[in-house]
Amino acid sequence: MKINIKNIIFINESKILFILIALLLIFSILGQVIAFGGNDISVQKHIAKIFFGIIVAYAVAITNLKFWENVSYIFYLISFFCLLLVEILGVIKLGAQRWIDLYIITLQPSEFMKIALILALSRYYSSLSIFELKQLKFHLFPLFITFLPVLLILKQPDLGTAVLLMGIGVGMSFLAGFPFKPFCYTVIAFFCLCPIGWRFLHDYQKNRILDFLDPERDPLGTGYHVLQSKIAIGSGHIFGKGIFHGTQGGLNFLPEKHTDFIFTTISEEMGFVGSILIIMIFIGIIFYFFHVGSESKSKFARHMCKGLALLLFIHVFVNIGMVIGMLPVVGIPLPFLSYGGSSLLTFMFSIGLILSALLRNYYKY
Amino acid sequence: MLRDDNFHKELIFRSKVVSIIILLLCLILIANLYLLQIRYSKKYQLMSDKNRIKVLPLLPKRGRIFSADGIILANNEYTHRLIMDYCSKKTFQKNIDELKKYLYLSETDIENLENQRRKRIANITVKDKLSRDEYVKVAMNLFKCNGVYISNIYSRNYTMPYEFSHLLGYVSKQSKEIQFLTGRTGIELLFNEELKGKIGNIQHEINSIGNKVRIIEKEEPVNGKDIVLSTHAELQKYIYDLLAPYKVGACCVLDITGKVLALVSVPGYNINNMSNGPSPSEWKEWTTSIYKPLLDRYSSSTYPPGSVFKIIVAYAALKEKLISKEEKLLCLGGIKHDNHVFHCWNRNGHGWINITEALSKSCDCFFFELAKKLGIERLNKYAKEFGFGKKTGIELPNEKSGLIPSREWKFLKYGTNWYAYETMLAGIGQGSVLSTLIQTATMLGKIYSDNINYRPTILNNNINNNEVVHLNKYCLDIVKASLKQVCWTGTASGSCRTNYGIAGKTGSSQVRSLKSGEAGMNQKLLEWKHRDHAFFVGAAPLDSPQYIVAVLIEHGGGGARVAAPIARKIFDKLILKNNEN
Repeated sequence: MKINIKNIIFINESKILFILIALLLIFSILGQVIAFGGNDISVQKHIAKIFFGIIVAYAVAITNLKFWENVSYIFYLISFFCLLLVEILGVIKLGAQRWIDLYIITLQPSEFMKIALILALSRYYSSLSIFELKQLKFHLFPLFITFLPVLLILKQPDLGTAVLLMGIGVGMSFLAGFPFKPFCYTVIAFFCLCPIGWRFLHDYQKNRILDFLDPERDPLGTGYHVLQSKIAIGSGHIFGKGIFHGTQGGLNFLPEKHTDFIFTTISEEMGFVGSILIIMIFIGIIFYFFHVGSESKSKFARHMCKGLALLLFIHVFVNIGMVIGMLPVVGIPLPFLSYGGSSLLTFMFSIGLILSALLRNYYKY
Repeated sequence: MLRDDNFHKELIFRSKVVSIIILLLCLILIANLYLLQIRYSKKYQLMSDKNRIKVLPLLPKRGRIFSADGIILANNEYTHRLIMDYCSKKTFQKNIDELKKYLYLSETDIENLENQRRKRIANITVKDKLSRDEYVKVAMNLFKCNGVYISNIYSRNYTMPYEFSHLLGYVSKQSKEIQFLTGRTGIELLFNEELKGKIGNIQHEINSIGNKVRIIEKEEPVNGKDIVLSTHAELQKYIYDLLAPYKVGACCVLDITGKVLALVSVPGYNINNMSNGPSPSEWKEWTTSIYKPLLDRYSSSTYPPGSVFKIIVAYAALKEKLISKEEKLLCLGGIKHDNHVFHCWNRNGHGWINITEALSKSCDCFFFELAKKLGIERLNKYAKEFGFGKKTGIELPNEKSGLIPSREWKFLKYGTNWYAYETMLAGIGQGSVLSTLIQTATMLGKIYSDNINYRPTILNNNINNNEVVHLNKYCLDIVKASLKQVCWTGTASGSCRTNYGIAGKTGSSQVRSLKSGEAGMNQKLLEWKHRDHAFFVGAAPLDSPQYIVAVLIEHGGGGARVAAPIARKIFDKLILKNNEN
């Protein structure tokens, strides 16, 4: 059966998602305009990327979900292969080996790994019967395909993405019915192993965690970013300093103000009201994902939607937690708002997948 | 089927648990945002302002000081000062390495700067008074440094640093951080409130690397008021040059209305260097020299007035009718008191002399007798009346009041009784009597202005509107006639016999009791610090005295031989110049 754009837009259920995404994209453009101090070529690039993302999302949405189910393992393998490739001939940027240079654009395979992992886990879980799901041994394979890329990404090093993938893997297997007692044991064992993991961390990662535990440890050195971010957010008060009147961002006291710290930039100028609005929109989208998942008739779609919701949530929580000094600084961007193509593409892709899952309820293929 | 249902319910339950966890975590985020943005917002707003706002003081011009003849004595010189903001050690090192290329910085300089940086001083002065060459080089390369800037400031410049050193005093920075000049001594200290003006400030918005973005607020400084002194720069310089060969001395020139025309103390010191911070060698020289250049000799140092004090004893005795104009007393070169002989300076004695001759020849025996008759109480009363033993009230800091002894004073100080011989010694201005040069000049001023309320002043437009209280005319005439005789036939006749006429009194005050065999010895043979202080106070011209000159040469020898010729030259300068005009 053929689907056209009208069909997607006029489904009542998807209207709310469109409104939320539209609001978020407005914030996104506004945020970049603030961060770059007006109409900058970078802002135009960002808008172009958004339009490209919308096209990608549309293309994904009108693709049969069955297709994504079928290619999920291949997609996973390709992503994994790319990660290996990064390991071998990746480009070193900002002290970490995360990018592949394709001459035209640089790709960050760990971004695609997020989606690939969710798809692969969903496919695997949807192929299991209820009887099998209750058994521990069938849950070992998901753990295996989660930790394989996690190890590679840890080596880049990219603690944030590694933790994120682990979160998705653990969360999805919990939602898929990982036996309760072993689940608890695993979690406890994991926390016991943390001190050993400390030894394998890089100095800058250790510093970030120490700074998180004691923000005044080195206010001009490693703790500078978080302190300046807190000052910016805190000085925003209820309604903010007004668009273009932010001093922390405008006078460059804020680091990374258009990427990881975009929330700070917006929060300083729009205050508590703006911050809450952004968080509310994200909560809305996350629960919309959950909702689509629980309403979905296909098992694959059900797992996938929950996985995507987890992905979005962990991103939002870790990023905002980090800029307000609640969590250690790990380089995790804020979905849709941060400047950067790979991240935007990933989330547009997931929006497309959600829409595709939604449409699958209405149209029998 | 039942077991499947249970499992299905379990999965739904788990979904709910995850949803609730997600909601809770989002609530924690919101709670944290609430704390940051609403609860503790004030704190972060302050921190944000501290980040972006830099306040720089705007310094006012310090008021200038003029002499009565219109010469600028203290001016403000426009200089460039290189200043560095507080920064991290790495930036500091980078800045210093860069600056070293353009100006000379010694190792100790750099160490000092580093110490200041460690104390977190906000604005460190890297170098003061950049030369033109350095200024151009540094200014062109300033962009290579972080948080370094050149501040254009006014520093104090004195046109006659030695001649006016004690009178003007010097200035220095108020504190290490604020380059605001404040007076430390002399006129600069006493009139600091008028001179200093009001400091302003400018608030700049700066970005993260310390560059100025815009001006937020500006408060203009208020310049200090100018001051015109009654002193004549030319005269001051003339007198300084006259005194300079005598190493230590002072001179005070007053006019009949009380205005100070010159106030000199030698040796002087360079107040320009003092204001900018003297070099260690200079500082050592000034503080350890036996001539003590930092000390002024006209108001902060006290001396036994010596024979000059006899003027008061004479006036007191005449006023109390203890002696008449013609009454004669016998001087045999010494007077015996309690088995001790008190010698006159002239061992051969002056014979029978009246009060006029006694003053003009400065006979000690005559005044021993008068003092004995007067007693210390009356002597004390008249001395105070003529301004001894208390401050004259001239606008100078650190003025000493001197000392006129009394029974109570001695009892409180030493716990012993007053002896008659002490009154005798006080009668010739020795013993415990101490006075400043200004006091002796004021005393003569009171006599020649015929006003007991005569008071010296340093300001040009200051009018002494105290009520005029006249002295006893009969006594005054005798004293004045005697003082005229001093310069005509008496001790100062060798140097002060002039057409216009000078009236005055010489004085030589001993600094220690004579050892046997030293009496009448040539003063030049004594060690410098044991020689007598030489005094001369005089007024001229005789028909209507306009000028009072008091000269002191510390350890100069005799007053007649050393101090009087200097006074003569000063009078010549004052009076003959006027006649030429």
